[in-house]
Amino acid sequence: MTLVNPEFAEELERFGVNTALDCFNCGTCAAICPLIYEHFPRKMIRYIQVGARDRLLENDKELWRCLHCGLCTYTCPREADPGELILGLKRFIVSNWRRS
Amino acid sequence: MYNPKIIIDLIADNIRKTRNPFGIPKSMINNWWTETPVRPEGDTLLFTGLMYQFTPYIEKTTHYLERYEDTKLADYMQYSKYIPKFIAGTVLALMTPGKEKKKADTIVRNIVNILAKSNVEFYYKPELDDYSGILLYDLGDQEGFVRHAEFVAAKLKRAGVRKIITVDPHTTYALKVLYPKYIGESFEVKTYFELISLRSKNGGARVTLHDPCFYGRYLEMSDVPRKVLANLEIECVEVINSEQATNCCGGPAESVSPKLSKEVLDRRVEELQSAGQPIIAMCPICLGNLKKSGTDVEDLSSLIARSI
Repeated sequence: MTLVNPEFAEELERFGVNTALDCFNCGTCAAICPLIYEHFPRKMIRYIQVGARDRLLENDKELWRCLHCGLCTYTCPREADPGELILGLKRFIVSNWRRS
Repeated sequence: MYNPKIIIDLIADNIRKTRNPFGIPKSMINNWWTETPVRPEGDTLLFTGLMYQFTPYIEKTTHYLERYEDTKLADYMQYSKYIPKFIAGTVLALMTPGKEKKKADTIVRNIVNILAKSNVEFYYKPELDDYSGILLYDLGDQEGFVRHAEFVAAKLKRAGVRKIITVDPHTTYALKVLYPKYIGESFEVKTYFELISLRSKNGGARVTLHDPCFYGRYLEMSDVPRKVLANLEIECVEVINSEQATNCCGGPAESVSPKLSKEVLDRRVEELQSAGQPIIAMCPICLGNLKKSGTDVEDLSSLIARSI
């Protein structure tokens, strides 16, 4: 069972994650991403939206497969800046590692 | 895939202690200027950010990362941080072939010669030339990046530096966009090919440009190298996914997953080779990674230097 946390998106704002709720999950980012077979970065953004903090932490290492190439941000029809969201999630995870 | 925490901790520790990601003493990395006449004072500082000089060490390091990815030995990497930096860095420097170091130095020297032939006035002080720290930013170690960037910027400010010439897209993006945004320090930053005004009728070559993500997409300056080559009468044969829509070469993944890096590289090389022309890179990471495929690739500066 995955618990959802509605405040999760707010918690992430201080790591520069503040456009996640602009995303309407169209999947353009996942279609253009060089990691074509992993539904990336759409899946990670969905985790933020529904507050699936635990699910994100379980899959945290996957974030570093992102090449930070910016193609997702370039093509996002909602200007939700998926590339920056992934970078913000990396900052959140690194900060968690350092605190633990 | 390597555990990113181990890689980030190692790189962050190296940068904190030695100011570069490899833990190699700067005196062993940055030597191109010792045999090249450059002015020590002036109005505009040449700031290489050491990225081209790093390329032989990146190649050596990723060679070992490729070998041990997804093996039991991969986890032992976490213990390497306990080896004193001076020893680990010096050993890596000694294991790296001198021939490759010379090739990297030649690229920086070519850029210096191109600027000189374009009558661009600049000066160079090796003590002011540092790594920008952008890998920490890319890996999500924001605190580490900010701390390192503050160190680099403070040194430049103390020396009265206002204008900077850069030579690679990562350092350019760091100084032009990230330093003002995250540490509030601004410089007037131009990359070298924005400043050159060379014409030649010796061209006639046809090449394919691989736009790096930072020049092509983040900084939106793909038109500049194309104009430079047009002035040298060198034709650019375009491929699918270029300029702002350029595809990644896979280089940024090489420290965490060489396998993923190779997969992305193979796809990009196929696209670039479809034009049937020699490939021109303008980023040290792209150049090193594209070379791994065995394809015909050289740096933009090498092509310009040969054409004038």
